[in-house]
Amino acid sequence: MRAVVIGVLLLFVLLGLPALLSTYWIKILTATTIFAVVALGLNLLYGRVGLVSLGQIGLLVVGSWIAARLFFLTNLPFPVVLLLAGLFTGAVGTLIGLPALRLSGLHLALITLMFAGMISIVVPTVNFPNGGSGFLGHTESSLGSLAVRRPSIAHDDDAFFRYAVIVAVVMFLVALAHVSSKIGRAWAVIRQSEPAALAAGVNITLYKLYAFALASFMTGVAGGLLAADQGKLYSYQFKTIDSVTLLAVVLIGGIFSVWGAVVAGVLQKLLPALLNDWFDFFRENPDFLFVLFGIGVLQVLVTAPEGIVTQFPKDMRNLGRLILKPFRRRSGPAEGSP
Amino acid sequence: MFPTDFELYKPYIVTGLALGGVYALSGVGIVVLYRATGVLNLAFGAIGAMGALISWTLIEHTSFPDWASYLVCIAFGGLVTFAYGVIFGPPLARRDPLVKAMGTVGLTLILLGLMSYFWPPKSRSMFLPTSDWRYYIGFAGVDITWTQITSLVFGVFVTLGVGAFLRYTKLGTAMRALADDREITSTLGVPVRRVEAAAWLGSGLIAGAAGLLLSDLVSLDAVNLTYLVFASLAAALIARLQSLVVTLLAGIVVGLCTALLTPILLWPSPSYSLSGYRYAAPFVIAIITLLFLARRRVVSVSRTEH
Repeated sequence: MRAVVIGVLLLFVLLGLPALLSTYWIKILTATTIFAVVALGLNLLYGRVGLVSLGQIGLLVVGSWIAARLFFLTNLPFPVVLLLAGLFTGAVGTLIGLPALRLSGLHLALITLMFAGMISIVVPTVNFPNGGSGFLGHTESSLGSLAVRRPSIAHDDDAFFRYAVIVAVVMFLVALAHVSSKIGRAWAVIRQSEPAALAAGVNITLYKLYAFALASFMTGVAGGLLAADQGKLYSYQFKTIDSVTLLAVVLIGGIFSVWGAVVAGVLQKLLPALLNDWFDFFRENPDFLFVLFGIGVLQVLVTAPEGIVTQFPKDMRNLGRLILKPFRRRSGPAEGSP
Repeated sequence: MFPTDFELYKPYIVTGLALGGVYALSGVGIVVLYRATGVLNLAFGAIGAMGALISWTLIEHTSFPDWASYLVCIAFGGLVTFAYGVIFGPPLARRDPLVKAMGTVGLTLILLGLMSYFWPPKSRSMFLPTSDWRYYIGFAGVDITWTQITSLVFGVFVTLGVGAFLRYTKLGTAMRALADDREITSTLGVPVRRVEAAAWLGSGLIAGAAGLLLSDLVSLDAVNLTYLVFASLAAALIARLQSLVVTLLAGIVVGLCTALLTPILLWPSPSYSLSGYRYAAPFVIAIITLLFLARRRVVSVSRTEH
C-alpha cells in the first residue's frame, strides 16, 4: 500500500508538476530536490549514526567544483561525472572526518564547521571553473566563460527537474538499502552506545567513517546536479550560514526517518520561495526566516526530537481524535467511560 | 620566503596582541561555561554582535550617554545568555554535549535573523573613546591605542580573575564540582541550577564585553562578529576546553598568527594578494589542534537519550 502511494506521488511529481507549474517554480523544485539529497546525507549521519556535520554546504561546494571541473576537462557521460564527483567528494569528506571521528561527536561538528568556514574563505579566491584554462579552470572574461553542460536527455528545465528527481530517488534507495542492512544495524548500535558496539565487535571508526563517506558522496552527487542546474556557479551562492540552516531544517524535518530529508529540502528551498511570494515582509527581510528555524531547532531539541515527518501525522491523529471526541461520546457513551 | 625586515611586522604585532587579548577573553568565557554546564556556546559571537549593534543604535540615534550604552552592550550579553541558560539549560542538561551545542546553534540563528531585520546590512562603525587616545611608543616605533591596550590587559585580567574565582570562592568551587559530576554535586546540596545560572550570566557578560571590543578592533558587522567565535573556539580547543591559562596563551597566539599573516601573504607581490587567506588562520589552527588531539582514541560514554 505504502509503495503504491509513493509510486503514485512520484509519477505525479515526474509528469504532473512540470505540466502544471511555470519554469520559475520548476527551478525552485529542482533546487529543493538537490537540497533534499544534501539533507539526506546529514539525515543519515545524525539520525542513524549520531554524528553531526556543520560543513555539508562546504562539501557541496567541493562537489560542485569537482563536477564542474570534470565537465570542462572531459567528455564523459553525465552520470559518470556525477558518480566521480560523488567519489572525489567522499574522499575529501573522509580526509576531514578521519581525525575527528576518533574523537567525540562534538569534535566532528566543530571540525566540519571549521572546514565550512575555511571553504568560504578559499572559494571567493579560487572561484568556480567556467571553461578557463589551467588547474582552476576559471576565467574572468565574461565572453570566454561557459556554462556547465547538462545531460543530453535533459536540456530544458522540465527535463532536468525529472532527471534530478530520478537521481534523488536513486540516492534515497541507496540510503534505505544501507539502513536495512548489516551496516545499518552497526550504525544503530554505535548510536545507542559506543562501548556496547565495541564489546559486540563492531569496528566503530570504520563504520562511522563509512557513514561520513557515504554522506559526503551524496553531497558530491548533489553538487554535480547543482553545477549542471545553475550552469555558472558563483561563490556568493554558498554561505557558511547555509550549513547551519541545513542542520536546522534537517532537525526540524525529522532525523529518524529518511523522508525527513524531503521535508528538510522543502524547508530549505521551497519555503523561502513561497514566503517570498506570499508575504511582502519576507521579500524585504528574507533572513528573518532564520528566527523561525532557530525556534524550530530549540523546539525539536527540547520537546519533539522526532521532527515534523513523525510528529505531524501524530499531531493530526490527535487533532482528529479531539474533533471526533464529542461525536463519539454522543453515539456511544459507554465507549469513553473508564 | 618571508620579509625579513622586522620594522614591517611591528604594527601587526600590536594589532595581533590586541586581537589575541579579545580572543582569549572570549575563549575564557566559552571554557568557563563549558566546564560548569557542558554547553559549548556557539552563539557567543552572535550575542556580542547584537549587543554591539544595540549599543551603536543608542549612540547614533538617541541622546543616551555613550558610557551607558557600552554598559548596555555588556548587560545585553549577560541577559540573553542568562535567559537562554535558565530556559533551555535544565531541559537539555542530561543530553550529550553535541545536543547542547546544537541548542546554541538555534540561538545563533534566532539572533542572526533578528539582527538582519533590525540592522539591515550596511556599513557601520563603532568607535570607542579609548581609540582616540593614541600613544607613540618610542623604543618600539609604533602607534598604539588605549583600546588595544585595554583588550590585551582585560583579556589577561579576566583570565586570572576567573581562575582565582574558580579556585578560591565558594561559587567557583561549586562550578568546578559541577564540571566533574552534576549528579553527585547536587546530592551534596549544591543548588545546581543557581550555580549554572551564575555561570551563564558570567559567560554572557564576557560575550558582551568581547563583542564591544571586537566591534571597534575589527568591524561592526553582524555576520563577521558572529564568525569571530571561530577564533575563540580555536583557542578554547587548544586548551581542551579545560585550562584557562592555556586558553589565554592560545588566544594570543591565534590573534598574532592572524595579524602577522597579513605582511607575510602580501609579500610576494602586492598585486597578487593572498592576504584574503589570513582569515583562514584560526580554522587551520583549530583543525591542526583537533588532529593533534586525535592521537588518542576516545570512546565516549555519554548519557544520551535517543
